[in-house]
Amino acid sequence: MKRWRKCANAGFFGQRRDRFTEYQPQRTLEEKFDLVAQVHQIQGIELKYPTDFKNPGVARDLLAKHQLTLAAVNVDIKDANHFRNGALSARDARARERAVGLIKESMDLAAELGIDLVTTCPLADGYDYPFQVDYRAAWANFIASVDTAAAYRTDVRLCLEYQPHEPHARIMLDTVGKALFVCSEVARPNLGINLDVGHSLAAHETPAEAAALLAAKGRLFYIHTNDNTGDGGDWDMMSGAVHFWHWLELLYTLDRLGYDGWFGADVSPKHMGPADAYKTNSLLLDRMGDWLEAIGADRIGELLRTGADPAAVYECLTGFMVSKPSRGGEE
Amino acid sequence: MNKLAAITGFLGAAHNRYMVYQADRPLAAKLQLASCIPGCEGVEACYPSDFADVKELRRLLGEYGLGVAAVNFRSRRTGQWMRGSFTSERRQERQDVVDDLRRAMDCATELGCRRITTCPLNDGSDAPFETDFLRMYDFAAETLVAACAHRPDVTICIEYKKNDPRQRCFFGTVGEAASFCRYVGLTNLGVTLDIGHALYAEERPAQSLALLAKLKIPYYVHVNDNDGRWDWDMLPGTFHLWEFAEFFYALKKVGYDNDWYAFDVFPKEIDICQNFTAAFALTRKLEEITGRIDRATMEELMTERNPARTIQYLYSLL
Repeated sequence: MKRWRKCANAGFFGQRRDRFTEYQPQRTLEEKFDLVAQVHQIQGIELKYPTDFKNPGVARDLLAKHQLTLAAVNVDIKDANHFRNGALSARDARARERAVGLIKESMDLAAELGIDLVTTCPLADGYDYPFQVDYRAAWANFIASVDTAAAYRTDVRLCLEYQPHEPHARIMLDTVGKALFVCSEVARPNLGINLDVGHSLAAHETPAEAAALLAAKGRLFYIHTNDNTGDGGDWDMMSGAVHFWHWLELLYTLDRLGYDGWFGADVSPKHMGPADAYKTNSLLLDRMGDWLEAIGADRIGELLRTGADPAAVYECLTGFMVSKPSRGGEE
Repeated sequence: MNKLAAITGFLGAAHNRYMVYQADRPLAAKLQLASCIPGCEGVEACYPSDFADVKELRRLLGEYGLGVAAVNFRSRRTGQWMRGSFTSERRQERQDVVDDLRRAMDCATELGCRRITTCPLNDGSDAPFETDFLRMYDFAAETLVAACAHRPDVTICIEYKKNDPRQRCFFGTVGEAASFCRYVGLTNLGVTLDIGHALYAEERPAQSLALLAKLKIPYYVHVNDNDGRWDWDMLPGTFHLWEFAEFFYALKKVGYDNDWYAFDVFPKEIDICQNFTAAFALTRKLEEITGRIDRATMEELMTERNPARTIQYLYSLL
């Protein structure tokens, strides 16, 4: 079983807020790095542009000090001042230019810091009500903006992260299908997708299937690990806390697909604190990998290849969980 | 006719986990804003934020000619009761919430209001095995009975909600809230039926109402709409036109017609006054459409249970 490099998302190490409550104190970038460094299983960090790069020298020094690799630059294109009516899809050309400009700046920054991965979740591009948006114009703008951004420099890969909703009732880029549609329309090899597992679950997808589809088109550039209850809420829970079998299936699938990128993580610290949340998230990912190893990925592959029914597959999957497996109907 | 009230929590700062949309404003400015919304006859005042000076609040309400639909007791507060209030594992926290709720009940009566509404948002759980549900029911009964006993002349309405900020709130559905009220068995413990909460809990609001009416549980109504996926606090009727008409029709039947509708409509980037104005106007429009339903015809249609005829009849009214 392949093991993947893990990185933390710096945004989850400071103060978090939902509509009702604030959690965790505000922390400086230095304090966030200190906390990330406590999570020994983590080798990298995803930083947000522009917030975390007010002084790029500080970010560079902190990366060196804590021996952390910059995994990706996450560009924020959803601020309420400029992108109230969309960013990449906005009717207002200035808003689109601003959004594309931010992506270009972050691509330059990534290259400067020696990496080739930029990711953005276009959450300003969405709508609430029927009759709110001219879909044809909005999608044409969206595709053109992404095309301009991706064309800016071919040595940096641009990831789009899809999410079904929030803060709008519907985000335009809401599912793996639309994500692939954008990749196909833009048709540039440096455009790919950041598969956030929780977003996929919130969109009622099967993450392993989404990963397989993206990989089939060479678009699986990055993964955000997490979990949720499947009620549509993007709860950013620890991976496998709810969708244990789906997570095993995803890890198995990623191994078979040969995914070689980072395992990022959007894990909400809520009451437990970010260090504990990320540590446990990493531990769960490792243990699920161990379990798959114990079961034998080849054995699973053989069962799937030969069209074994779910009863046989689950007998195989559950056998490893107990030291002396029951023999079911045979006893 | 039911009166229309704006919830003060929606007249100031508006934010979610990603965005800040509106700046906060002082209480006087919120009430002034409410008084400018066409059709607005009152507010649902939020405790403790609006109650730093009850006399001043009363004066301002008088100045702007606003009634009080209910006092909204906030049991979720940043830095306090983070692991639940009514159902907290900590005895002291449970005592604190009861003491504060009693103060809120006293404040309500000072404003001539006999209704508290509270949405126990932080009472719930995120992960499996996080909590002992049996004990949570004991704690909820202990705290809410103690508060209700303080003033039998004030009704406490539990506003149920499926989730957010907890993955699962303790009072998630009308069934859970109503069962709890029956379990406790107090005449001054009721339910706030937030139409949006009912819709995204996959309820039919008219049925939720019928259950409360049949069980003779006091209730109070919050108006908003959503896409059925989340509590977006949207303008009424923008997604569920006929569900609203069905709900208003049922309200008439159970006799909730001289009370309040309080509105939680989230303005986001839209001007707050404009958003409430639209919410109120749409509500009156939905009531008007409901009013076109001939009672005898509809009762006969519902006896027949033939949607092919019923829906045609409804569309004939537009």
